[in-house]
Amino acid sequence: MPVIAFQNLKKSYALGENTVHALRGVSLEIEAGEFVTIIGPSGSGKSTMMHILGCLDRPTEGRYFLNGKDVSNLSRDELAEVRNKQIGFVFQGFNLLPRTTATENVEVPLLYCRPVKPAAQRRAAAIAALKAMGLGDRTEHLPNQLSGGQQQRVAIARALVNEPTLILADEPTGNLDSTTSMEVMRTFQELRERRGITIVLITHDPEVASYGSRIVAIRDGLIVSDKQNPDRNAVSESQRAVANA
Amino acid sequence: MLPAAHAFELSFKALRRNRMQTLLAMLGVTVGVGALVTSIALGNGAQDAINDQLRAAGANVIVITAGNYQVQRPEGTEGAAGHEASIRRFDPHLRPAGYGQDDQEMSLRNAMWRPSAFPPMWRDFDVPRQPASSGFMRVHYEDDPNAVHDHPTAKERLGDSMAGLGAAATLTREDAQAIRTQIPGIQFVTSGVHENARVSLPPTGAANAPGGRQWFTRLHGTESELPEIRRGWTFTHGKFLTRKHVDDAARVMVLGKWVADRLFGPDVDPIGKTVMLWNQAFEVIGVVGSRSWAVQPAAGDDQFDAVYVPVTTVHELLNLSKLNTITVTTESAGDTTRIAGELVKLLRERHGITDTMPDDFTVKTQAQQLLGKGLPPDLARVVAGNMQSVDTLTIEKLSDSLSRANWTMLGLLAGVAAVSLLVGGIGVMNVLLLSVTQRTGEVGLRIALGARRSDVATQFVLEAVLLSVVGGLLGALLGIFASTGLERVFQWSASVSPSLIVLAIAVAGLLGAASGAYPANRASRLDPIQALHHE
Repeated sequence: MPVIAFQNLKKSYALGENTVHALRGVSLEIEAGEFVTIIGPSGSGKSTMMHILGCLDRPTEGRYFLNGKDVSNLSRDELAEVRNKQIGFVFQGFNLLPRTTATENVEVPLLYCRPVKPAAQRRAAAIAALKAMGLGDRTEHLPNQLSGGQQQRVAIARALVNEPTLILADEPTGNLDSTTSMEVMRTFQELRERRGITIVLITHDPEVASYGSRIVAIRDGLIVSDKQNPDRNAVSESQRAVANA
Repeated sequence: MLPAAHAFELSFKALRRNRMQTLLAMLGVTVGVGALVTSIALGNGAQDAINDQLRAAGANVIVITAGNYQVQRPEGTEGAAGHEASIRRFDPHLRPAGYGQDDQEMSLRNAMWRPSAFPPMWRDFDVPRQPASSGFMRVHYEDDPNAVHDHPTAKERLGDSMAGLGAAATLTREDAQAIRTQIPGIQFVTSGVHENARVSLPPTGAANAPGGRQWFTRLHGTESELPEIRRGWTFTHGKFLTRKHVDDAARVMVLGKWVADRLFGPDVDPIGKTVMLWNQAFEVIGVVGSRSWAVQPAAGDDQFDAVYVPVTTVHELLNLSKLNTITVTTESAGDTTRIAGELVKLLRERHGITDTMPDDFTVKTQAQQLLGKGLPPDLARVVAGNMQSVDTLTIEKLSDSLSRANWTMLGLLAGVAAVSLLVGGIGVMNVLLLSVTQRTGEVGLRIALGARRSDVATQFVLEAVLLSVVGGLLGALLGIFASTGLERVFQWSASVSPSLIVLAIAVAGLLGAASGAYPANRASRLDPIQALHHE
């Protein structure tokens, strides 16, 4: 069973008197354990696709199966539960709560998880997620005391804390320099390889896209190319070799 | 729902963020709740004062006075025929029925007793007769304009008068005790001896130095139950006499506020100090003032321009054994008429008064006294004669109109409070809207991470409620402070009860919830996609 199945998905907005067709009929299946990068220029409809993938928006037409369940027509609160349990978000701007420690930031998804776990368990899970991201010594730091890469790793820890099946990353390296971007991308690769988490990453940068195991290109609301990325392992191996040396 | 502790923490953080706006909004709620608490406290206080006054007016108080001044012989009924008629018409219980039907001067029912109804032997034996031309029969030698007035001592007077004579003094503490034990429905009984007296501070310094400040006032020899009867009392210092003081005939004294102010000054605590009375040193154990703003101590007012000592002490020092009054309260105000009747029966029996003789005491409900006060004697008698209906009616009417006036005032004050609460609520809403705008990005993130609409809404409502409840607590304090201040400065009475504080905080909480509802709803409807990208 695919983690994600789009069946002829369409999305259009009324913009003044015009109707904007952001997605014009997208069909896509993503299997568990894939690292799919979706690439496209701005205005290609990739953001819309991301919102629908993330259950933040509903398609105008077509159906979306997440883990085999049709989520195209769920209510707002039902979608909230789906997002909370099954999807981990990583945003371009990190979107950490200001004046809130790393641990507390990571705890946020647990607060909306029903039934709510006791405070001690929530805290332990958050610290474990931070440690897995190599931030064991930054648990009580505030976002403005962390570097961009560290902030994005806190955000990834937050995405992972509820043990979702899918991680959605929207331009996660957009605010980072190239070295840090590489580190973050490697982190995603390791997540996939070590934990078998399905990752969907949206970017406009072909270099970033090349970290994926499968690259889907989108343009004008349609998928224009969808291919496996054989280089991916090589990149990963070479990087690991560098890291180990 | 978010975990409660976390939700509170979030609210605190959010409120801390806009400290100035939060404080100003809180101030609005504080003023509103303060106004509410003050107005209700004053309204309640006024109602209490009205009730106190009515109680003090004595719906359930009966006073038995030694002597019977209602007994009077009218003109022109001298002679055998009149005598016969009078015997027939004589009513020892002073019940008005059947009286005055053939009296030309009195068309209304009248309560009176005619001395000419006395058996001739008794009259000849005890009462010196005047020539019939005088018109009045002398019923007491003090009433004789020709007599040499050699006033008897107090001891001689108390006890020497015969039944039916104004000065008769036959009430005893044993009578009081009998009333206490033998009549059902009695609440409190207290004996009283009343004198005029001079109280003074003890002389200071050398033996020939002039005495301290002095004051001529009313002296009440009484018992420990008196404060239970005088419901409008409050003790500004100390306490009232105890039963032990009365049993021991102790040299202790409770000062009325007016006397205390005259002797010691208004801000002095006179407890434990010495006051001289009849050259005896009395220890001051209490100062009694009025609980009601409507009744304030004044010169010659008999309650606060007065001193209270144990009745036994007065008896001992003046070598007396009789009482001037016995004051009784009934458990139920509706019982006074019945119990007054029983009192008359019991006392007549105890005093050995036969059916043809008049009472040697006067039983009056306080309502009767009050209503008759200031009226010309004839009119007062008419009022007393028709009392049974008059007293309940008038007291109820009085109570009604006072209450209505009070509720009008309270309504006005509550209106002011409601307006200030409304303004406070607008302030809260304003802060919340600001908070929602500032935290749009955060709300978007929380929604993306799985917050339901109710989670978001609850968070903002909680924030508003928290803000308002803290404001409400401060407002309650402000209200207590303000009403106490008004009570002090303007002598109004205010009554702040714990339930009023609970009400104030509940109102603040509801206000917060109502003001927070719109911002919270707005936040919960935010589109996560737009909110996430909101900077």
